[in-house]
Amino acid sequence: MNLWLRNYAWRHALIISVCLFSLFPLYLVVISSFNSTGSLRLDSFIPREISFANYKLLFTDPTIPYMIWVKNSLIIAGATAVLSVTIGSASAFAFSRLYFRGRKAGIQLLLLVQMFPAILAISAVYVIMERVYTFAPSIGLGTQAGLLLIYLGGAMGVNIWLLKGFVDSIPKELDEAAKIDGASAVQTYWLIFMPLAAPVLAVVALLSFIGTFNEFILARLFLVDMESRTVAVGLQQFIGGQYSENWGPFAAGSIIASVPIVIIFLSLQRYIINGLTAGSVKG
Amino acid sequence: MTSFFTGKVSFAIKLVVVLLLSALLLTLTQSAFAQKEYFIAGFLAICILLLVLTYLTKISIPLKFFLPGVLLLVAFVLSPILYTVTMSTFNYKTGNIVSKGEAIEQIKNRGFESDPDGTSFDIKIGRYEMQEAILISDTINGAYFISTETNRIPLVAADLTINEYGVAESAPNFETLSDADMATADEIYSLKRFKYEDEYFIALEGFEVGIVSRQVLSYDEVKDQFENIITGEIYTDNGRGNFAIADSPDQYLEPGWRAPIWFENYTKLFTEERLRGPLVSVFIWTITFATLSVLTTFALGLLLALALNKPIRGRRVYRSILILPYAMPSIMSILIWGGMFNTEFGAINNLLGTEIAWFQSPTFAKFAIILVNLWLGFPYFYLISSGALQAIPSELLEAASIDGANPRQIFRRITLPLLLQILSPLLIASFAFNFNNFNLIYLLTGGGPRAELDGELAGATDILISFTYKIAFGGAIQDLGLASAISLVIFVLVASISLYGIRKSKVLESFQ
Repeated sequence: MNLWLRNYAWRHALIISVCLFSLFPLYLVVISSFNSTGSLRLDSFIPREISFANYKLLFTDPTIPYMIWVKNSLIIAGATAVLSVTIGSASAFAFSRLYFRGRKAGIQLLLLVQMFPAILAISAVYVIMERVYTFAPSIGLGTQAGLLLIYLGGAMGVNIWLLKGFVDSIPKELDEAAKIDGASAVQTYWLIFMPLAAPVLAVVALLSFIGTFNEFILARLFLVDMESRTVAVGLQQFIGGQYSENWGPFAAGSIIASVPIVIIFLSLQRYIINGLTAGSVKG
Repeated sequence: MTSFFTGKVSFAIKLVVVLLLSALLLTLTQSAFAQKEYFIAGFLAICILLLVLTYLTKISIPLKFFLPGVLLLVAFVLSPILYTVTMSTFNYKTGNIVSKGEAIEQIKNRGFESDPDGTSFDIKIGRYEMQEAILISDTINGAYFISTETNRIPLVAADLTINEYGVAESAPNFETLSDADMATADEIYSLKRFKYEDEYFIALEGFEVGIVSRQVLSYDEVKDQFENIITGEIYTDNGRGNFAIADSPDQYLEPGWRAPIWFENYTKLFTEERLRGPLVSVFIWTITFATLSVLTTFALGLLLALALNKPIRGRRVYRSILILPYAMPSIMSILIWGGMFNTEFGAINNLLGTEIAWFQSPTFAKFAIILVNLWLGFPYFYLISSGALQAIPSELLEAASIDGANPRQIFRRITLPLLLQILSPLLIASFAFNFNNFNLIYLLTGGGPRAELDGELAGATDILISFTYKIAFGGAIQDLGLASAISLVIFVLVASISLYGIRKSKVLESFQ
């Protein structure tokens, strides 16, 4: 018994207390979402009432286009993830495997550019897109297409860098063998690299999806119309005001939006961790 | 399968795609050119050229792979950075946004004053003999006239329709504006000067009131200066984007224009006390915040990894619960924590039975930020620490234990040093990330609390990046030039931290 205490009791005690710490806010959101008073107060640990009013509000109130926000977020984040990984993996392959003049300088520039805090380039991005709007209103300021382009540009640095790390780890003998057999670079890419990389590409795409889903400042600056907003921007307005009365719908909305992400994350955690330790930090 | 990449069919498909894309870009180029956006038009034209050259000829194989990525990077990352660099050498701020030519026009248009009595009349806007004109009712003297830019035509009251207030509604030969014309009337009429007498003219204030005014400032193109006709004061170009009186530089004309001031935005950071004070305290807090965040998240993460490093009951469940905060979209979590710390309605005070105004006190606000960041960040370090623990060869630990080391010694002398060595690049990356953790600060405390009375921008929990954001977009004076300069300083700081980390992790080895 004494040995058990020394070896295991402290572990359980520590882990359980940290588990409580990590669960507390989440539990609070869940019970607030079923609470019709709309506050984030903890009146009792066991909810006194279970009301679906908040959920109903999100789906029925015509002034809250919640489903459209979700759709917008899914489309923008999904498109960013797929496109940026497609474009990024080709670049990563070139930087890792092909030899050309300026390759080293290119990689160093990529690394450097990636360190520029994106928030600080906002004013410049804003001015540029404002100008684009004057001649191409469909991709300029205030459009989802324009936001997507900016996200793509922003995701490019990180993704190329992550994927390059992965391509570097594929044994060179594989593509040398293909080369001897007469494969061109394009064939090596499609027939050898792509099948090998598919799982990693999926993870990088997922990370990019989550990153884009979490983006707030640009989305808020860009998407002014109620109908074009993303979930994060749309939900924030419930609680952005002076009075914290609308926690109910916010809680319900963020639960619906988060659950799929949490599930995907938990089921793919092993792969995601590998992707993360390749040198990035969740952003 | 392989023939797909060399065959004629694939070439045809490629041709169609490239041509369609080029056609799309070409229309964009044309409209950009028509709008005089020459930089953008030029960039688009280069894009088309490169696309066609790369994908339809065999000029370079590597280019086929990285062209799309590079174009996107140049358009949306590199050019904003270069733009920021340029802005940092300009006095680009509220009051100095337009070009010099526009500023001169605006000063001319604003450079008049009303007559000493402040005389104003009721007016109607319209047209007289095909010219823009106003119908003026001097209700005090019972006089009526029509003014165009060059003429003043007296009217007889009997010919007019006059309403109950004594204001003329219409006059012969004077057509009031149609609704369609009213839409564009503001542009046409607001800058016009209608004839009154001597040097005085009537300027519009809205569509119903005219004010008797006279020009005060006159621009001399040859000498590039403004003169105040009445006082004789001369305003010259002060070389910093304003027309100012040479002897008293604080007296200048509004608006100014964006002028290059080279390194002044940078030297200001060190010389101007009003700026240096907040910057120093913000910088200290940024370092403290990033250091504490890394230390607390790493310590808790490592502790958990150690605790779970043995096969104990419920490990899988524990693990899933522990990484929940990390799986949850961080934007939602931060907003939720913000609500929990609310003084009246928040769960934290509720739970503790206190009435603490968390975000009104610097100390409590800082504590809250570190706590929330611990919640957000410990799962990451738990995950990578447990990965790293498994990477340490067990022979090492066994050998130490055979040599008689106790568990604590093994941890301090072997496990921890090895872990730090493996994880140091990630610890540094985490520091760099927190150094610029804008979302957390902006959404949780907004940088506050701050002493609003003295007009200070920096709050107690502002980190450099949120402070810079405020300089650029918050406050009454939005100083984009200064914000750009600070951005570049931050960039240099973060880049050196990260490069140090990367050098440590030796990822650059492959091409050194």
